[in-house]
Amino acid sequence: MYAIEAFDLHKSFENVKAVNGVSLRVRKGEIYGLLGPNGAGKTTTIRMLTGLLKPDRGYAIIMGHDVVKEPIKVKKLIGVVPEEANPYPDLSAWDNLILVGRLYGIPNYEIRERASNLLKLLDLYNMKDRKAKNLSKGQRQKLLIAMALIGNPKVLFLDEPTSGLDVLSARKIRELILEMKNEGITVFLTTHNIEEAGELCDRVAIIRNGRIVAEGAPSELKIKAGAYTYVTIMFNKPLENCKLDFIKPYEYKVQSSKLLVICSRPAEVVVKIIEYAKKNGLDILDIKVSPPSFEEVFVRLATGEV
Amino acid sequence: MKDEYVHMFKAVWAICWKDIKLYYAKGPIVVTGIIFPIFLWMAFYAGKGLELKEGLASLITLTLLFTASSVTPIIAPWETRQRTLEMLLSRPVTVRWVLVGDVLASTIFGMVFVTPIIALGAILNITPANPFLTIVAITFTAVGLSSLGVMFSAIPTDTPADVVLLSSLVKLPLMFVSGILVPITQLPSWILPIALLSPITYPADFVRMQYLGSSFLPPYLSLIFTVLFALVFMILALELHEKSIFKRLEKR
Ligand SMILES: Nc1ncnc2c1ncn2[C@@H]1O[C@H](COP(=O)(O)OP(=O)(O)OP(=O)(O)O)[C@@H](O)[C@H]1O
Ligand SMILES: [Mg+2]
Repeated sequence: MYAIEAFDLHKSFENVKAVNGVSLRVRKGEIYGLLGPNGAGKTTTIRMLTGLLKPDRGYAIIMGHDVVKEPIKVKKLIGVVPEEANPYPDLSAWDNLILVGRLYGIPNYEIRERASNLLKLLDLYNMKDRKAKNLSKGQRQKLLIAMALIGNPKVLFLDEPTSGLDVLSARKIRELILEMKNEGITVFLTTHNIEEAGELCDRVAIIRNGRIVAEGAPSELKIKAGAYTYVTIMFNKPLENCKLDFIKPYEYKVQSSKLLVICSRPAEVVVKIIEYAKKNGLDILDIKVSPPSFEEVFVRLATGEV
Repeated sequence: MKDEYVHMFKAVWAICWKDIKLYYAKGPIVVTGIIFPIFLWMAFYAGKGLELKEGLASLITLTLLFTASSVTPIIAPWETRQRTLEMLLSRPVTVRWVLVGDVLASTIFGMVFVTPIIALGAILNITPANPFLTIVAITFTAVGLSSLGVMFSAIPTDTPADVVLLSSLVKLPLMFVSGILVPITQLPSWILPIALLSPITYPADFVRMQYLGSSFLPPYLSLIFTVLFALVFMILALELHEKSIFKRLEKR
């Protein structure tokens, strides 16, 4: 059984096709990332998966329950950190947590215990009596995460959980997400931070114009996107008159005395270039090999270059 | 099945608790709930030298009208704009539960203001003929008025002022045609058909009967209509919101 299954989800607003046929499956215990440029349909997809929007077409199943037909069952199993929703600004952090806990029908003593534990875990305990409107952006985000966790969810939805947070808070939240995974919770997140997705997610899907254009483990996607390794070589003199055709079919660029090659087999290319340099009396000053960045993959897939 | 009901009651109660904490326990709202009815009441009765009994009956209905429907119209648009409604509805609750919680809070609010008036009457030895039925009528009136407020807020707007305007446009005329301040018998005869359409005519007449011993309509008819209006408004409010909620959530 999958934790999340979506079949051919569609959603239009007035005349904007926000989501245009999204199908996906997330295994239990997986961290699954949905990546895409602004307006790609990430939030709309999450809102349909969590029962806040009715799909125009298609359906979603969470832990075996249809989101539209069994909303209460589904919502008992999930926790949501929405992109733009807020805690009650005039309630304290503590009261917000208690309110949400009560909505799950959990016994009061258990709510209080979980609320203290969560606030401590997220370094919010000493501001538990502060009104939500007086929390900083990062503190508010952490409160929203606590509110998503208070119902003991099996599946956690996070819409841009680290956006706008400083490096430390973002790292803290990433650690927390990994901890959730260790506890067997399935995590579905969207993010703009591509490196974060590469680091955190077991699988990612790239969404563009309301459609998933690629899906797989971050490492698989790197191969799929054809984003090869970058080899940068500095020579002692400009390369203007050199015949470098032997590098083909790999892509290469010459900038004065610098040669940039994008290839899948860096070792092979480096050996060839060293041979060439010896034959032609060129000195190599520096060789740098950089692995493909996930960002490169993302840009290529998200702009439709691949 | 039983667990589901327990969950439902807990959730409704949690929403009610939130409303009381956020909306009702606020100074300005409390003050409005006291000042408006009292001043309107004084404006009407000053110098008329009417019987205390009659004044008490009017004040009860007037206070209910001003308190029980004061906040319910703004909760939905306000929480849509604040984006807290979305936060609530991503939890295991239905729109209906949320609205029932709102109505409950508002009913309690109305009752809290009416209770001292009734108590004051009791101290002055003015008591309703049938205290039990009076409380039943007042409770249903509060439920009906709260639900009416919720009904207004079913238009999928996120601007509280839109709803406040609409609800005032309905509530204020109702106040004059329903025989709250001036008994129906003393109103111009052309108002009578309109008065009979007003849901507040019935509780006003019933409470008057309880305190004065005479009424325009048969009391049991008034009581039945009071209960009926409350149920109809409640059902309509829930249905209308059920229909508009997804539109409301689509708004940005
Ligand atoms: N409630 C709405 N009303 C009208 N249009 C909407 C609404 N919600 C989303 N859209 C449109 O649907 C498209 C997808 O929006 P969505 O919010 O899902 O994108 P996103 O991938 O989450 O973007 P971002 O990275 O900026 O959060 C956009 O073109 C957006 O303008
Ligand atoms: Mg978004």
